[in-house]
Amino acid sequence: MGPRALVARSGHKKYNIIRSHLPQTPSTSFHTATVFSSTPSLVTVTEEPDVLYQKVSVLVKGHDRAVLDSYEYFATLAAEELGVNISKVYEPGKEIDRLTLLKSVHIFNKHRVQYEMRTHYRCIELSHLTGCTAQVFLEYIQRNLPEGVAMEVTKTTMEKVPDHILEPMWKDHPVDDKPSQ
Amino acid sequence: MATRTGRSLLCLGRTHIRALGLQNAAGRVTYATEEPANHQSRFTGPPDRRNKGPFAKKPRRNEGQSRAERMSVDQDWTAVYPSAMPFRANTVPLPVRMGYPVKGGVPSQKRGNLELIKIPNFLHLTPAAIKKHCKALKPFCTEWPSALDTDAKCDEHFPIKVESTDYLSAGPSVRNPSARIVHLKVKLSSLNLDDHARKKMLKLVGEKYCKATDVLTIKTDSCPLRKQNFEYAMYLLTVLYHESWKTEAWEAEKTVADMEEYSWEESPSQKNLLDILVRMKVAGEGEGEEVREQLLGRREVQEYKDSVTRLKNEGDSDSTMLQYKEAVKKVFNL
Repeated sequence: MGPRALVARSGHKKYNIIRSHLPQTPSTSFHTATVFSSTPSLVTVTEEPDVLYQKVSVLVKGHDRAVLDSYEYFATLAAEELGVNISKVYEPGKEIDRLTLLKSVHIFNKHRVQYEMRTHYRCIELSHLTGCTAQVFLEYIQRNLPEGVAMEVTKTTMEKVPDHILEPMWKDHPVDDKPSQ
Repeated sequence: MATRTGRSLLCLGRTHIRALGLQNAAGRVTYATEEPANHQSRFTGPPDRRNKGPFAKKPRRNEGQSRAERMSVDQDWTAVYPSAMPFRANTVPLPVRMGYPVKGGVPSQKRGNLELIKIPNFLHLTPAAIKKHCKALKPFCTEWPSALDTDAKCDEHFPIKVESTDYLSAGPSVRNPSARIVHLKVKLSSLNLDDHARKKMLKLVGEKYCKATDVLTIKTDSCPLRKQNFEYAMYLLTVLYHESWKTEAWEAEKTVADMEEYSWEESPSQKNLLDILVRMKVAGEGEGEEVREQLLGRREVQEYKDSVTRLKNEGDSDSTMLQYKEAVKKVFNL
């Protein structure tokens, strides 16, 4: 852990110097393949294997459809620029919450007032992302999330079958004759 | 909506109605801190109020040209709106109108328009700005391995899928307790299971298995952290796997009602068919095991067996009923 921690710290220090020029640069150090030896680089490489996401689904919710339209344009353009695969972009139907309340503070039951809250949705599904790319893209998207808009991100990670499930353990350790409880 | 600014700006004339204000000949902005040439020194006593009265207003300084009017067409817009900022009417050079119009009128102009300030704007995220940001972010991204381009290959090498959700919204707290839920999905065909182990696994798992897609889903939400839930899900999978390979003593008491699939051997259908065929004297005279064995070996009887097994396992459908009908006709020579 020692050398890795040192590398991370130096990456962070270099970032602080360049902060004024690139306000949108993410603040943590990321793993990537190339390291330039001539210029000081913000990028650090570690030995830890990258997580693989088969699907990342970004669902944004808001009260205003026009804001979600613009946000979708921004997110899709950012995905294309960063080389992220967009599998589909669609609009789930809106949900309207309605409630009927009494208009007056006291009595007058026949006079009511009705309110409604409309929630519009937009879903952007991305496929085949690595952990680093997903972190970068999602942080960029989330920092630029407008006011009044909420987001849910569903990530599907792919894992190998762990070693202890490859073979049943009873071959090496035969079962006792007494029945289990 | 004025969400995106293009390169083409409309140069506005001075359309505002400012009957009182004078326009600067040089077109310069006058700042509050600047001192005009003929300004009286500050400390020379109270202002001259002979002609105006006790409540006269201070003369308003000249407004000058707004920033939008002095912008060039090829300027760098990312410098005007580098980050999320509210809408400023004299910074955005677009002739935007917003609001519900009065009767016979048009929506109100952008100057002093609260509706334009209230709505979130994307003026800081023009395509040029997005490209600039992505160019700076690109070195931090990694490539997807090219050997895993189809879903089938991904499933073959990485059969276990773990799903979790992150929530982001404005509120009193950043945390969302639903973020701890983990779904673990795995196809049983990718695990090393023999016949008995597979049947036992299906019985252990029950509702969590989907027969159509052959996917086992384990949903864990009993631990407070996502990492803990993931580890618990992996533990459950391990336990299910190893337990399904075990054969307990009481499994020998499995009855016909517990069987997952119908098997024709030792079933009432086989007994009935052989009784009928023996009584019809199909294989000639004689009773006993040899006759039954011979009958079982016949092609029509095997076809009948296939059709009955298929009917019981797959349910009633046109093709299964047809097959059963043909088999019955063949066995009894109808």
